[in-house]
Amino acid sequence: MRDPSSGFSSGPEMPDELRLLCMLHNIGATESGRSLTLQQISEWTRMDTPALQSLLQKLKELGYVQFVKVDGADKYHLTLDGIRKVLSIYS
Amino acid sequence: MKVCMLSWEFPPRVVGGIARHCEGLAKALVRDDHDVHVVTLDFPGSPSYEDMEGVKVYRTATELGHPNFLTWVLLFNHFLEKRMADISRQVEFDVLHVHDWLTAFAGVSFKHYLKKPMVLTVHSTEIGRAQGLHSADSFSIDGIEWWAAYEASRVVVTSHSMKREICDHFHLPWDKVDVIPNAIDVAKCNASVDRGSVRARYGVGWGEKMVLCVGRLVPQKGVEYFIRAVPIIAKRYPEAKFIIVGEGWSRDYLEGVAQSTGHRWKILFTGFVSDAEVIALMTSADVLVVPSVYEPFGIVALEGMATGVPVVASQVGGLAEVIEHDRTGIFVYSRNPESIAWGVDQILSNYDHAKWLTQNAREKLHKTYSWEAVAMKTVEVYKKAGG
Repeated sequence: MRDPSSGFSSGPEMPDELRLLCMLHNIGATESGRSLTLQQISEWTRMDTPALQSLLQKLKELGYVQFVKVDGADKYHLTLDGIRKVLSIYS
Repeated sequence: MKVCMLSWEFPPRVVGGIARHCEGLAKALVRDDHDVHVVTLDFPGSPSYEDMEGVKVYRTATELGHPNFLTWVLLFNHFLEKRMADISRQVEFDVLHVHDWLTAFAGVSFKHYLKKPMVLTVHSTEIGRAQGLHSADSFSIDGIEWWAAYEASRVVVTSHSMKREICDHFHLPWDKVDVIPNAIDVAKCNASVDRGSVRARYGVGWGEKMVLCVGRLVPQKGVEYFIRAVPIIAKRYPEAKFIIVGEGWSRDYLEGVAQSTGHRWKILFTGFVSDAEVIALMTSADVLVVPSVYEPFGIVALEGMATGVPVVASQVGGLAEVIEHDRTGIFVYSRNPESIAWGVDQILSNYDHAKWLTQNAREKLHKTYSWEAVAMKTVEVYKKAGG
């Protein structure tokens, strides 16, 4: 993954929500059948739940993540725009 | 020849130039009677196998994941290998063609397993993309790029500047590397477009200038310098509108830069748009700016030239080979907003000269950058690789 600040003195840093988006992508949460609960995401990423909730909310507002309700629990996965966003970071 | 092409992106999984390059090359090879199999990663809504104008495309799901980028790359390469194992039981390939380091693991494994030559196309390098090696992952990717180039029988790059870069950085023998420029589908770029309605769709009114910038929103594309040129351009052309097409991780930062110029309302970020819409935008614009700070080739400049929009570009990397200054486009200094504004003014202030530039650009394009020419040169490389 790119070092976001590399070589660009006035350059940007990759926001936390995009780091999370990349992780969700790499874990494989790229379609509804492979969506993950907050608990599962927390286990994969070792991030605490309140921080995750806030970042996921941001990603939802940006249209990069959506959720489905399964047995009363919200399960998250990337949208097409979310996948494209990640690929644009990696290429 | 029976060709197995490996790429982590292939339409509709399109982000950078690799997918377009692989699609154009694969289809042209098929038109030249070669048997082309592309093994790539899956994309939601796309079939796991399809025949695209004779190109056999195998899309592979990565069934295991990991948050770490490099671990994920290793995992998807394993699944590519599995798929290739299936395919190679039915097809006896003559050559493996790997595009960039991301699929190098699967390519190198199969080179040894099948005992067939491997050709590697280096579309860009980690040290160039990141403008240095600043993290453990970057060092690792740099090592994988070296290793893939070492394992390859032949290495292909798209510009002479890239050849110099990789021969210097990876200490490759000069005669192991072939330069084959990229190409574009000129017919696709000549689609009929209602300029007025496209401009209206993006808020560009009658009599207003449309200044376009197309590229991923990552630092290497230099979009920040384009945005910083906006106030200078707007001083002379207060009616100008600035459209930025593309997606990327630095979008938030760039929107902040746009805000700081005091001209935010004149700048539109479109995000990701389809290829057809990019062509429509280029056809409708008054000038296309390519402000890259690192550009191994610069296919967006070619697309611009094909649509007939005057191109203003940084004189870096492959762009310096695609464009002739003041003959097929205008060169500006990279990382230099004043220079970009000067280049845009050269186009907007002299309509006849701009038209002359676009006519020259189209002529050069037809002569040099066709997929048929790329396919022919690539087959020569395959033959050399086969010894």
